[in-house]
Parts: sequence; C-alpha cells; structure tokens
Amino acid sequence: MYLENEIKNLVKKVASLDSLSDLEKVETECLGRNGVFNLKFDQLDKLDKARLGKEFNSQKQRAVQIVEEKRNEINQKSERESFDVTIPGILPPIGHLHLITQAIKEISDIFSKIGFIRRRYPEIDTDWYAAEGLNIPKDHPARDDQETFYISENTVLTPHTSNGQLREMETIKTPPIKMINIGKTYRRQIDVSHTPMFHQFEGLLIDKNINITHLIGVGDYFVKNYFGKDRRVRLRPHHFQFTEPSFEIDITCGICAGSGRIKNDEKCRLCKSGWVELGGAGMVHPNVLKNGGIDSKKYSGFAFGWGVERVLSMKYNLPDIRNIYTTDLRILNQF
Amino acid sequence: MDIKIPDSTLRKYLDTQATPEKIAEALTLCGPSVDRLHRLADDYVYDIEAITNRVDTASAFGVAREAAAILPLFGIKAKLINSPYNIKPNALPERRGGKLPLEVIIKDENLIPHFAAIVLDKLTVKDSPKEIKDQLELSGVRPLNNLIDITNYLTLCFGQPVHIFDYDKILGQQLILRESRAGEKLITLDGKTHQLRGGDIVIEDGGGRLIDLCGIMGGKLSEIDEGTKRTVLFVQTYNPKKIRRTSLYTQERTLAAQIFEKQPDSRLVIPTLIEGVNLLVKHASAVVAGDSIDYYFQKPIPKTIKLDLKQLNRLIGYDFQSKTTSTILTNLGFSVKKFSTDLLEVEVPTWRLHDIAIPEDLAEEIARVYGYFRLESKLPITANLSVTSDPLLDWEYQTKKYLSDLGFTEIFNYSLVSKELFERALMAQDHSVILTNPLSNEFEYMRSSLIPSLLMDLEKNQGKLDLPIRIFELSNIYSPKEHPTLTIATQGLDYRHAKGYLEALLQSLHLSNISFVPLTKDSNPWQKNQTAEIYSDKHFVGIYGAINPTIKTSFGLTDNVYLANLDFKVISELANTNYTYTPISDYPDMIEDITIQSNQSIGKILQLIKQESKLITKVIYRTSLINKHTFTIHFNDSKKNLTQNEVNKIKESLLKRSQKE
Repeated sequence: MYLENEIKNLVKKVASLDSLSDLEKVETECLGRNGVFNLKFDQLDKLDKARLGKEFNSQKQRAVQIVEEKRNEINQKSERESFDVTIPGILPPIGHLHLITQAIKEISDIFSKIGFIRRRYPEIDTDWYAAEGLNIPKDHPARDDQETFYISENTVLTPHTSNGQLREMETIKTPPIKMINIGKTYRRQIDVSHTPMFHQFEGLLIDKNINITHLIGVGDYFVKNYFGKDRRVRLRPHHFQFTEPSFEIDITCGICAGSGRIKNDEKCRLCKSGWVELGGAGMVHPNVLKNGGIDSKKYSGFAFGWGVERVLSMKYNLPDIRNIYTTDLRILNQF
Repeated sequence: MDIKIPDSTLRKYLDTQATPEKIAEALTLCGPSVDRLHRLADDYVYDIEAITNRVDTASAFGVAREAAAILPLFGIKAKLINSPYNIKPNALPERRGGKLPLEVIIKDENLIPHFAAIVLDKLTVKDSPKEIKDQLELSGVRPLNNLIDITNYLTLCFGQPVHIFDYDKILGQQLILRESRAGEKLITLDGKTHQLRGGDIVIEDGGGRLIDLCGIMGGKLSEIDEGTKRTVLFVQTYNPKKIRRTSLYTQERTLAAQIFEKQPDSRLVIPTLIEGVNLLVKHASAVVAGDSIDYYFQKPIPKTIKLDLKQLNRLIGYDFQSKTTSTILTNLGFSVKKFSTDLLEVEVPTWRLHDIAIPEDLAEEIARVYGYFRLESKLPITANLSVTSDPLLDWEYQTKKYLSDLGFTEIFNYSLVSKELFERALMAQDHSVILTNPLSNEFEYMRSSLIPSLLMDLEKNQGKLDLPIRIFELSNIYSPKEHPTLTIATQGLDYRHAKGYLEALLQSLHLSNISFVPLTKDSNPWQKNQTAEIYSDKHFVGIYGAINPTIKTSFGLTDNVYLANLDFKVISELANTNYTYTPISDYPDMIEDITIQSNQSIGKILQLIKQESKLITKVIYRTSLINKHTFTIHFNDSKKNLTQNEVNKIKESLLKRSQKE
C-alpha cells in the first residue's frame, strides 16, 4: 500500500504519547501543510499522482483516524485520573488598604451620589479659619472643647475640618455650595475614644431656602447608606459657635436597635437609652456666612463635622479607637 | 459642663406628674441632654450636660424652667414653682443685736458687675441636716459642714456660686477687691500655693493679705473651721474673661469658675444671698449682724429682638404660626411685646442675655422646644455645581488601591512625631513645625518626611511575620506647607523586584519617559551608590534606593530594605488617562537575542537600543556577565514582513554604535 511505512511510523510514535500537545506536534509533522504525507505526494509526477490519488486520500483518512483515536484515549484517561481539587492555590502577594482609606472612600462615594464635591483644606491653618472666623472669639469658653495644638500664636493644627467652611465660601463665592471636606484634624487628647490625630468629614451645603429638614434628610441618607437602612437619626439641641441652631446628631444603636435593652431586658451598655452620638451639626451662623462673603439674607445653609474614626468604631464596634492607628501588620493585614 | 441633679431637688422647682424617665426623654430631645438617668432606692439622679452657652441650665431651678416649657408639648402639665426671682428683699431677716463692722473697697468696678455680702453672727458649725447632705451627695458634692454645705446647696439649686468667709480671720474687717499684681502669692482652700501672674481678681484684707482668689476658690487664710462663729456670706458675679484666664492658668477648673466664666444672671445675686441667710438662720442658728452690702455696677440692659415669621419658617422648614411661637417663647421666660401674624417683638429674659442676640437664636428656641424630631426629613434640591474636586484626591485613592492590589499594606502613622525619631534616621526635622503645646515628646513635631515613620514601622514588625514585607504610606509632610508624599518600603526583596513594583506603579499612572539617574550627593537616609533620582521627562518625581547601613542598624533592620520616596503632588499633576491607541501590526515580530559589551549603565544601553531604529518595538533586558549584557529585541515593520537581512543591518549598526560610546 502507498504510504504504508508512514502509517506504521505514525502508529509507533503515537503509541508512546500521553499529552495532547505532543500529539498535536506529531499530527502536524505527519498531516500538516508541510507534513510528511503532503511532501511525499508532492514528489510524485503527474501520472503517479493521478494513479495514487485515491489511495493517498484513504491513507490520509486512516492517519487522521489514528490521531483522533489517540486524542480520545488521552482525553478519556485525563477524565478518569484522580485529582485533588482541595490542593491550595498559590497566592499572589495580598495587600491591604487601611480601614481609614476604605471608610473615606465609602463616605465620599455616598455623598458624591447626592452631589457633594470632595475637598481637602489645610491641616495647619490660621486661627481665623479654625476659630475666630467661625465666630469663636479669643478667650471664649467654647475654645475649651477644641483642645487645640499651636505652632505659633496665630497658627494651629486645625481641631476640626470646619476650617474648610470659610475657605470653600471664598473659593466658590456664589452658592450653591455643596462640599464634603475630608481631612486630618488634631486635638490635644489621647484616651480610648481619642487620638491626637484623627479624621473628620465636613459637609457644607449653602443655597437659597436651605432649612433644618434638609439637614435631617442628608443625615438620614448618610446613616442609612453607611450604617444600614434600618438605622434612624435624631437631632438634639446643642451649641456650637459657628451654627445657629446647633444640634447633636444621634443614631439608633446597632446593638439594641434603638430600644436601649438587650436580651433578658438588660440595659444596653453601648448606648445611651438606644441612641449613640454621631456628631455635631447645625445651620450655618449668619456671622460665618458674612465672614465667608455670603449674603445671609439671601442664602442659608447647614454644616456638619463628623469623625471618620468615630463612624468606623461605631460600625465595627471597636472598643478602643487607638487601635485604628496600630502599625502591627498582623492586624492591618486583616482588613 | 456635666452636672448631676437629684430628682427630689428638681421637683422643688417643678410641679408635674411626669415620671423621671419622661422628664429625661423630653429634656434630651428638646432641652439640656440627660446623658443618663440613675435610679436609686428613694430618688433619681439626672446626669445633665449643661452646654457652654446655657449656664442658666446648670442648676435644679434652671433645668426645672426648661422642663416646664418642654413637657406641655408632650401633653404633660408642668409648672415652675419656688422661683428665686420671686424672692422679695423683705424676705431678708432683720438684724438682731449689735452691728459688726465690714468695710468693702472695690478698686475697679469692671471686675465685678454685681457685689453682695452680709455679716452673720452666732453661727454653730455642725453637720447639715440629712436632706441637704443627701442631695449634695447625689449631686456629687462631699458634705463637709452646715456652712459650706449650704453654699454648695445654693449653687446646686440656683446655679449661683456662693462663698463664705470666717469674719474673724479678716484683718481690719476690711475687704479690698482689686486686680492682683504679678508675683503675688495666694494659698487656696485646696492647700495649693499660686504665684499669680497679675490681673487676677483677688481680695486683700486690712492686714494686706490675699484672702480670696475670687470666683475660683477661697483663700486658706479666711477658711471656715469648726470654731467659726461669725461669717461673711458673699455672693457676686465677676468679669468672665478674668475668671477664665485665671482658672485656666492656675488649673483650678472649679465649678464656680466654670459658671462665672459663662456669665450667670446677675439678677440672681440678691435672691441667692437672701435664701442663703435664711438657710443659715435655720440650720446654723445664724443671726444677721450687719446691713446687706449691695453694689450693682452693671445692671442688665434689656434687649428686644424682632422675629420675622417668614424668615423663621424658611430656616426651620416648618409653618409656625405666631400663636405657637409666642407660647413657646413665653414659657421659656421671654416676654412678647408685640404680636402680629408675621412678626413678633420679643424681650429676652436676663438669664439669656448673653446667649440670645439674633433672630436665628430665637429660631433655635422655637424649633427645639417644638421638637426637632417632629420635623420632616427631606433631601435638598440644588442646582448643578460648576466645580469639580481636585484630581489629586482621585489619584491618591487610585494609587493606594493599585499598591494594595500589588500586595502592599497601607499604614497610617501619626503626623506628629518625636525629635528622637528623626535623630535615629539621621535626618533633620524642620523646626518651623514644632508645637508650642505638645501632649508629650512623642508628639512634638509635624513630620517633614514619612521615611522615619516607615523605618520605625519595619522595626516594630521585624520578626513578627515572614519576609518580604511591603508597606506604604501616602500622607502630607509639613515644612510648614503641606505636601502630599508617597513613601513605599520593602524589606526582604532584591533591588530589581522592589524597583519593579515602583515601575509598575509609575506605568499605571502613565507617567512618560521615566528615568533613574544615579544619586550624586550623599544624602540621608540613602546609601548613595544604590540610589537613584527618578524623573519623568524633566520633572523630578522622587528617589528610590537602599537605606544607608548606619541608619539600618540604628533601626535594627536586617535583610534588604529599599525605599521609594515620591513627590505625590508632582505625580498627581503628571498622571493622566490620555491613552493613545497603537494598532497591532499584521506582520509577525522578528525576535533576536543580542549581547552588547559596554561599560555604560544598563539604562544607557537600553536607551541606545531604543534609539537605534523605529523598527525596534520592544527590548527586554535578560542578563549580564561582567560588562557583557544580553537583551531580547523585537523587530517589526507594520507595513511588511521584515527580512533577516534588514534585521542584521540594524544589529550591526547597533553593535558598532555601542562600541563607540
């Protein structure tokens, strides 16, 4: 038979194979465009080609079948082979974003959906932007709450992100102003709920006809998106020099769901009668609007300044806020 | 200011059926917050937060006044009773027996808006009656004796601090109220000696001795003791700024000082004095032994505010009518002078004069008493903004995310660092950012570099987890201007692997033409021969390299430590997403390995290869053997198949050029 030797060779080669890639190599050598079959046939003269054409085709069919059979055999064998699917994968290096970065991203995304523009203003600022321009005169008892670090008599580490209020008014000039200013802030205190450096997010909205119901609306929106849709907010009267009226905003406790009681009617230890403090807020004081060059007869607005670490520790029930600033990678690598 | 008020004391001034729980809830929602309500065997105690501008709520009477205005809106009847404002001057007992002399000299009327005092005789010092003792104890004050207890009890009830002197310890029966002189010394009741800075309000007796640090704490010299028989009862208000200043620097943050610095109502001075005398008559067998002394230098000036209801409703977002508004204000002690459907004219009560000045203040009163919780929740509708946020903020997040995806852990160190940390890194800390009032040496400077913090992070983690360690921090540095900086540190990776991460990052930010230029000057913390400056085109982007071995030792670090310190402001300005599309060639690459012998740096040789021909589309560095460097080069012509001949020509020319340079 024509090409009988080549068929024998093919059978011999294929017999010892056990991988598809090797089989493909043999297939190409034999049956490819420049394979042995075609080369041999091309060497024939016209007359022989006509004579042996039929035989060539049937031998080629045989070769194809031999390869196919082998392919099936290999495939079936691989399907029968035992394989331990529980063997662990090889991991690439795994990195970790800090909890604060994750929280800031989450917070700015929530506010950006309702049109608040992310901002950042100086951490080292003048007393004017951090206090006096916010209606907090020198020697005022309200300065007690701020525990401010000083670089010089007139330069401070800003104790809140509210220094961004006047700066934003100066930048934008004509409302609407819709800012979410997130940055580092500093106060002279360290204990389980305070670190000398922390982060705040400051919302400021100034436009025509902005009123308390809008502050409640935005507070609600944030709390439901960040903490969960079953959480509620309430406003309590408070005092800040730079807002009038001023509020303390509380949200329902995540542990006792706002009831103040846990199992067996015990008092919830995490909250005050069902509520936990989120932070301060208020309607921007006319003096502050004036200091920012905004006509308080025409425009009104609200502002709030809440702690990033505070919302983090509320969301995850962290007992000691200082742990957020650990540099122990065994902890940081958990987030 | 946190105060504790027993329910029994509160109900002396508040007539209501409301339970303590209901009172606590209503106050929290509409008035001073009740942080906690404690239930005791036969009483309750309210923990009340009296906020800075509401010193008028720092007493049982003050809280009762709030409750009386608030409870009716919860449908509960409540009435304010036994108001000290109703105590008439004729309630002061008459003098009995001989008159004891007391001369008062006030050097400066600005120090003391209202001064009142009275001499009492025939007192007996003993324990207070149980009722007073119990109420004081519940309010967190330790009972001492009837005289002292009564002064404290008056403060608990009315929020007006009261002092009592031993008359016989006042030399010359003379009280001279004046400003202190710098350097004068005074021993207060707590036994502390204060060296005064001058400008403090003090009282000197006829013997030239300082016997009172006014408004803050009494002096030891005129202290009440077990044998006290004759006293001066002393009630005043003081210049608040002076009190605050003295109280802060002497660190005597007494209750009296905290009240006086917030300007309590001077109209309470005389009622408190009269009530005090009556209590001392009742519980210490006192008799009045002199005329009451009353200097009222600064009487409150009445203040009227016009409240436009439209403006009020615009700010609150509710439709208040003048009747509701007027009722709420009246219950709080305001008097409504004029009344129409769209305007109220309101006179501010004396105890709110320092707190209420503008219509917005009245808006707060109305809205809070009505109840913020009754207001709707609405999302504001505003016009579109014309501004966008700073791209820096987005690049920061993108960079942090990219690095964490590559396997780096982000660290937040405090911006505040110690001087010692920089000394260990042999780096100079910028002195323009030293705090004048640091918490401790540990937090003294605003750091002018992130590097020392990250070296400390490596030090603290060494031995705790397997190498390699990959960390970064992206934060401002201060000098004193704030400058965003990215510092990346690896430990346990070799130079090329560590650098690979950095190059991947810079590529992801699409910085063009990155080059690494060997460092030419010694500069800490770098090891000069293994460090390069990084440029994108002509812009300096940062430094990458090894840490100087001395500094490594100072932090006890073993294994390879490489740092990249990048100017993130520059990076954020150069970073872009201006992608350009390059079509894929229809023709296959010709791929050849080539070995070039040269004493140039590999970076230079790579440049040389790339410059050789436009047909060179990709160069991969493979390996080096002394000065022989092997590269894999891809050749491609997008218009046709390249021939071996063409490729050989390029290679020859390249080899020739490399030998020349």
